[in-house]
Formats: sequence, structure tokens, C-alpha cells
Amino acid sequence: MLHAEGLSKHYGTVRALDGFTLDIARGEITGLVGHNGAGKSTFVDVLCGLVQPDRGTVTIDGRPPAAARGDVGVAPQHIALYPSATGREHLRLFGGLAGLRRAALAAATDEVIDALMLADFLDRRVGLLSGGQQRRVQAATALLHHPKLLLMDEPTAGADPQTRQSLLAALRRRAADGAAVLYTTHYLPELAELEATLAVARRGRIIARGTSPQLLDGLTSEVRLLAGGTDEVRVRTTDPAGTLTALIDRARGPIVDVDIRKPSLDDLYRSLASRP
Amino acid sequence: MTGSLWRIGALARHNAMLRLRDPGQFIGYLIMPMVFMLVLRPIFQRAVPGGATQITTGLLVIYSMLALAIVGTSTLTERSWHTWDRLRATRATIPELLIGKTLPAYAMLLLQQAVLLAYGITIIGARPHGGGAYGLLAGAVLLWSATLLAIGTALAAVVRSYGELGAACDIGAITLATLGGAFVPVSMFPSWLRTVAPASPGYWALTMLQAAMRGDTHRTLVSAAILLAVGAAVAVFACRRLARGWGRTTML
Repeated sequence: MLHAEGLSKHYGTVRALDGFTLDIARGEITGLVGHNGAGKSTFVDVLCGLVQPDRGTVTIDGRPPAAARGDVGVAPQHIALYPSATGREHLRLFGGLAGLRRAALAAATDEVIDALMLADFLDRRVGLLSGGQQRRVQAATALLHHPKLLLMDEPTAGADPQTRQSLLAALRRRAADGAAVLYTTHYLPELAELEATLAVARRGRIIARGTSPQLLDGLTSEVRLLAGGTDEVRVRTTDPAGTLTALIDRARGPIVDVDIRKPSLDDLYRSLASRP
Repeated sequence: MTGSLWRIGALARHNAMLRLRDPGQFIGYLIMPMVFMLVLRPIFQRAVPGGATQITTGLLVIYSMLALAIVGTSTLTERSWHTWDRLRATRATIPELLIGKTLPAYAMLLLQQAVLLAYGITIIGARPHGGGAYGLLAGAVLLWSATLLAIGTALAAVVRSYGELGAACDIGAITLATLGGAFVPVSMFPSWLRTVAPASPGYWALTMLQAAMRGDTHRTLVSAAILLAVGAAVAVFACRRLARGWGRTTML
């Protein structure tokens, strides 16, 4: 669905993208993670057709971004809504711009109202809504026309748990229906909830790509053991079961507590990001 | 209805709704010139030949130029709310976005000028000469509004804040309208000022409107052609600038 290869983009002396390569298949949710300035939002801008890369190729469903805009739904990092318009008026506008007409627009509106739980505040002006409610309205404008590619740029930043859960559930359903989803975030547990594949960006390029198990393989777990009469022992190891057995064998007093913490996405992210 | 018209309609309806929810500035630019026309009419009728026409067309030009602020604000808010890039990321093309975006502002400019002309003719005593004058006036209003629309949109594309837009509109409107003879007829200017007056679009707007009032088709068309050229050049600039967007690297 999405194919990007060797994208480069410079803003003056700043290299926002530097050989950025990424593919996303239909039905796949890809979590794009990286520090601020890693190139995530510039990549999203390229996919929206807002920014032209200096080099490289990108296609969406076989077409360049400018020709595929009708098949893309985007929820940008910033709130980008009209404060004096209601949520329903936003849906009418973006639905109309996507080509949805009366009956289709009404059906699509009903669907996103249910999916993102908008009913209670849809007819209030957006400027009067909370940040989480605004996030939901913004996500609804992206989901409304059933795009083949969803670009969600930190869509839950500052959102409450209810907003986060409803949005993640909606995205899982859209992916199950065949949409490709690019999801940028700094909040890695969300990606585990989405069962997303991962792409780690750093300095304008992807430095790691794969499923969570693939990327976590080889990272160390932490084994913790507390035995009576001794200090707590913590060991990092790639063989947690063997290490725990050895620690128990060596313990002099009764075992009080043991714990194995498997490597998390945060560990992976820290590990990759700290590479020179 | 084609997809393009549908998208333009969706955007025009949305922008009309936004304008209607915040009509204060428009009402101000409609009422203030009416009050000034009424108060200044006796002075102008004594001081200037065709004083009623001068005060009507002069204040129409001044306040229509001040209304650039409304046109500019409608575009500038798209930048400050980050919604312009949202719109650019939709299926709509840049021409569709610009037409849908500016149609309500164009209608507002037309309404303002039509009301001021009607007021000037019925209350202040400006007298169009012959039935043809009304047709010329209608054409003049359509063209002057289109020129203002282009200038206002271009201004909003280059300024960096609402303060800059307000200053540019206020200073620019008063300066250019005055230079164009909106307060005092150009014929009463010192000679050096008469020489530079045609550099102002306000001069050509006033010339066009006053020629249309007299039923002078030739003079109306010459002025209209000049305004059309100015408006087209500014519109091309505005379209190109708005098509590029601003990304995340600018003020607002």
C-alpha cells in the first residue's frame, strides 16, 4: 500500500529526511517511533503531498501522494480544527471534500460518532471542547471517508484514557478492514495494544524495522531476586530462566520474592536510540 | 453536480457559516461609511462639483479597502488554526480550495458595495446618468470586489501575524484610497501628487465608479482593464504562495 524509498528532504542545513525507506502493507499498523526531529512528521507531510522530497520515491497504492490524496486520512500532530465550528460541521466539511454525499455522508458520520463516542459533544463548537474531545473530532475527520491509508501523527498526545482507548479500537477495526495505518507516537505501550509492527526513525532514516518479537529478540531481561537475610539482587541477562535458577541455587536464606522483567518496547527504543 | 463543484460548495458553505458567526467587522464597515456619508454630504455638496457622487464613491472605496482586513483574516485564520494544510491534504485541488474559500468573502464585498451604492443613490443624492450607468456600476462593483479579494488573499499569504495584517490593511487602505482621491478629488491635489495618484488601485477604482455613474463606458472599461491586470497579477502571486503552504517553520 505504502512504498517509500530513499526519501531525502532538507530545510536549509537541517536534514529532516535522509534516505528514509519504509513499506506498509494493507491491513498493517506500523508504529513509527523516534526522538523529536527524527523525521516522523516530515514523512507524514510528504505522504499528505504537503512537502516534496528532494530525492527518493514514494507511492500510495501505486500512485504519487498528490494523486492519492483521496485515499489518505490524516490526523496531524497539532489540533487543526475551526474553533467556531461544531464537530458535526467539521464532519460535513471534510466529508464533502472527500466526495461523500448526503446518504453516504450521513452513514459515515453515524459510524464515526459511534466509533469515537462523539455523540455527547458533536454539536458543540470545537473551541469549547476539551483537548481529548478535540482529538476525537480530529480523528473522526480522518476516519470518515474510509481511507486506504491512515496517517495518525501522535493522535493521542494529551488525550485521556477514554479517548485513547476509543481511538485505538477504531484503528484496529480499520486495519482489520484492510486499511494501512501509520501511527507515530512517543507512547510505546499503545503500539503493543495495536499489535503494530515497528519502525524506529533516527536522524531522518529508519534504523530498525520489524515485529516486536523480532526486534526484542536479543535484548536482555531483568531478573530480580530477594532472599531472606540478603540484599536484593538484580541481573540483566538474555537467559532469564537459567539465571534465575542459578540465583536461587546460590541463595542462602528463604526466597522472599522473584521477578523477571522481559524487555519492553521502551528498552528497545532506548537501545536503538543510544547507538552512535 | 461534479466532484469539483461539490467540493467547492462544501468549502464555500463552511466558510459562509464561519463569516456569519462573526459579522461584527463587516457590519462596522457597512454602517460607518453610511454615517460619514450623511454627515459629510452638506460639506461636499458645497465644496465639490458632484459632491454627492464624490462622497458616495469615495467612502465606498475607502471602506471597501478597509474590508481587505476581513478577506485577509479569513485566509490568515486558516494558517493560525493549521487548517490550511488539512485542506491541502484532502482531495480538493488548490483552485477548488481558493474558490470555495473566497466565494463567501467575495459575496460579502459585493454586498457591502451594493448597499453603499444604493444608500448613496437613494439617501445621499448621487445620480447615475441613464439606464446604462446601472449596468456599468454593477460591472464595476464585480471587478473592484474581485481585485480586493486578490489583494486581501495575497496580503494574508505574506504577513506573519494578525497585527501585521491589521496594520497593512489600515495604513494601506487609508493611504491608497486617499492617494486615489477618495477623500479629496485628485483635481484638487498639488501637481506632484496628481502625478503619483494613478499608482494607487484606489485611483482606478474611483475613476471606474465615477465614470460608471456618468454612464461613460469608455472610461469605465479603461479603468476596469487596469484593475483587472492588477488583480490578476496579485491573484497569481497569492495562488502560488498558498499552494506552497508554510509547513512548521513559520510564525503563527
